[in-house]
Amino acid sequence: MKKITGQFIIASIAVFISNLTYAHDVLDQRKNNLPLLATPSSIISLLPSITEAICSLGRCDKIIGVDDYSNYPAQIKSVKHVGSAMAPNLELIVSLKPDLIVMSNNPRVSRRLEQLGMKVFVIDTVNHSDVHRLFEKLDEIFKTNEGQRVWQSMNASIDQAADSLPKSAQQLRVYFEVSTGPYAAGESSFIGETLTRLGVKNIVPKSLGDFPKLNPEFVVKQNPDLIIVSDNRISDLTQRPGWGQMSAIRNQHVCTLTPEQSDIVVRPGPRMGEGAQIIAQCILNKGRSP
Amino acid sequence: MNPLAIQTQSISVELGLRQVLSNVSINIQSAKWTNIVGPNGAGKSTLLKAMAGLIPIKGEVFYPTIKALSPTLKDKARHISWLGQNQMGADDLSVYDVAMLGRIPHRGWLGSAGEEDRSAVESALKVTQSWDWRDRFLKDLSGGERQRALLARALAVKADILLMDEPLSNLDPPHQVDWLEIVKSLIGQGKTVVSVLHEISMALRSDELIVMNCGQIKHQGSCAAPQTHQAVERVFENKIQISRINEQWISLPRMISDI
Amino acid sequence: MQKSLKAPAQALLLLGIALTTMTIGVAIGSSGFDNLLNALNDPVALKIIMDIRLPRTLGAWLAGALLGLSGALAQGLFRNPLADPYLLGSASGASLGVACLLVTLGVSANSSSWIFKLSLSGAAFLGAILAVSLTLILSRGVQHTLRLLLAGIIVGVVLGALTSLTIMLDPHIIQTMQSFLLGTTSFIDWDSVSLMGLVWIICTALTWTFSRALDALSLGESTANSLGLNLPPVRAGLIALLALATGTAVSQTGLIAFVGLASPHLVRSIIKVTHNWLLLLSSLMGGVLLLIADLAAKWLIAPQELPVGPITAVLGGLYLLRLMLSLNMNQEGL
Repeated sequence: MKKITGQFIIASIAVFISNLTYAHDVLDQRKNNLPLLATPSSIISLLPSITEAICSLGRCDKIIGVDDYSNYPAQIKSVKHVGSAMAPNLELIVSLKPDLIVMSNNPRVSRRLEQLGMKVFVIDTVNHSDVHRLFEKLDEIFKTNEGQRVWQSMNASIDQAADSLPKSAQQLRVYFEVSTGPYAAGESSFIGETLTRLGVKNIVPKSLGDFPKLNPEFVVKQNPDLIIVSDNRISDLTQRPGWGQMSAIRNQHVCTLTPEQSDIVVRPGPRMGEGAQIIAQCILNKGRSP
Repeated sequence: MNPLAIQTQSISVELGLRQVLSNVSINIQSAKWTNIVGPNGAGKSTLLKAMAGLIPIKGEVFYPTIKALSPTLKDKARHISWLGQNQMGADDLSVYDVAMLGRIPHRGWLGSAGEEDRSAVESALKVTQSWDWRDRFLKDLSGGERQRALLARALAVKADILLMDEPLSNLDPPHQVDWLEIVKSLIGQGKTVVSVLHEISMALRSDELIVMNCGQIKHQGSCAAPQTHQAVERVFENKIQISRINEQWISLPRMISDI
Repeated sequence: MQKSLKAPAQALLLLGIALTTMTIGVAIGSSGFDNLLNALNDPVALKIIMDIRLPRTLGAWLAGALLGLSGALAQGLFRNPLADPYLLGSASGASLGVACLLVTLGVSANSSSWIFKLSLSGAAFLGAILAVSLTLILSRGVQHTLRLLLAGIIVGVVLGALTSLTIMLDPHIIQTMQSFLLGTTSFIDWDSVSLMGLVWIICTALTWTFSRALDALSLGESTANSLGLNLPPVRAGLIALLALATGTAVSQTGLIAFVGLASPHLVRSIIKVTHNWLLLLSSLMGGVLLLIADLAAKWLIAPQELPVGPITAVLGGLYLLRLMLSLNMNQEGL
């Protein structure tokens, strides 16, 4: 008995040590091979969804710098802000001496950071499978399975949200406006995919792209049953020519998301499940079969 | 007759759709002062520019006194000095610097000024009475002072042939006379001067007069000849009369009420 | 004759100001002043200074110097005090090049083709050169200055419109475009510095050989011609140098306004010189101007940074306003 326990302890220690020091390579979306000596212990994230994803794996304490827009979860509010993803504060980033920087695709920035000796992991998250890949890659980086778990529970959450909706919701035609432009969430975007999984229809077809800039007339012509926007945009909707007359506007089939809700829904990260539930709630409250 | 300095052979110039010069063939004698006169739009400036080789023409211009068979741009620059009308620009250059630009045909585009250049500039400035304010900038000068500085530039080239378009503009009478003296001295040195003047009385002091109208030569002859005077009066619609006063030919206005 | 002693003194003065500003620029960053003092002991601080601040500061001076030189060149070539380096469409060409690259990169986000090798700078430079070439083709050579100017305006407008259309194709690129269009020194590395330095030396030396030609041109094209200046090759050469200097500056720092336009004027307001000194002094003045603007850009809302373009625009606008007011004082009825 003692022998087996002893061997077991030694084996565990060996595995533990090898996990700490084993050099492994991770491939980012540029097909760049990133040799990571150990799991990184000081990370800078330049995208809010990436920040949230890392934290969802329980590695929040490893984050030493975030972009200006990262604001969730609460514990990263005390982390240093290093500027925007477009124009990061290079000096601050270098002085923080991160092991790894994770960001979305921006060749100019990533190139400069690498020139300064930083390790940069690039990943874009446009749709659900991209987000799945994000979790997979984070699992690779941190040598863990947490990501897979988070992904699965998030997916279950989305399914739950879909189940909460009545069959009549499947007739609804929804327009989701992401930002002024107007930029809409197309079918192929992660928001569009969530809408599809919730069973509703998107007035913006796949052919227009992920987040197309629409001609406002298009929306009027499509005459959606439900409009989803974030709070500060509601006033200018009625000022758009022809919009005041749309049935969705007249009958108040409009959901306005609060800034907190907006942060949840518009980020392709671990809170997509919550995002789906917010949208589902909105459909239940404001949506009405034609 | 002196050797020819410039010879144009059936030259024509078109500007857009307008025929500015038609089939002009003239000979300019060297060591003489020739003037071109005519009403506005007659093509005088264009003819002068054509003689200077500054515009594209149909026909040919020859320079018998320039040794080279077909003179290069540099040859022409050294032997022909051109002073145009209404010259704006060069406001930030000093009078001295502007005059020194006249030495470019001899100095080239790089390299510093030699003794010959400096003395040429100095004599050009002195002869135009601009030496004393050679450090002043062109933008600070009056019209007449500016004209004298530009004239100095043309003289500094020390060319054999000088072509000057309205050289008396902005010059007051004393300086107009100075200019006459300069021309006289140049001719005395064997140089050729061709000018376009609209001051007829001044023009009548030259050796030869070319009378132009509508892009064509109407007459070429001595300033003393009566045919020349008639040609001039005709081309100005007989609204002038040329008379001899104080041993000089003077152009006076002829008004209908005078007849 | 005393002014020929002043010009070298002015040059040294401008160099002195540049060095001082550069030292301040290297000392100030988002991390504050103290870095300079501790730098020798702290490898991270040293790295920040050597790898980030020093190239940025040198780059700012070089870009400004290139623009100042181009401005003097453009004003001499076109005999127009309002000429600026972007006159022949180079700015619009650079923007279009950048926009096209970004759209292509967005579409093929995962490929490591030659498109990735062609960086933003390469695309900007290529765009600028192609735009100037287009202007030359449109004006059918360098025969007529007026035609050149008009062709430049047309090319500028058309390429600008194409840039807007390209942005419509992929609206996501608009943020990167913004930072390019507004001008910034934040991406300047040692490669940029070497490139700009090399181009600056070449352009300064070559334009200097044209200085007497430019003086002659200021008397008018006919007079310059009569002095032996062969206009077409001189124009072609000057345009090539203009495109090279401007294209290089724009490719590294984006579109920075007014430095090219204002530098020759500022020099002329201090000292009147012929082109052999004007070109060099305008270049040095441009360097100082952009250095100061960059300093302001880094410092005004530190630790955040402003783009340097709007700052040069404001400074330039104020200077031109002062110029206009002084003109009003000197001439009645304006």
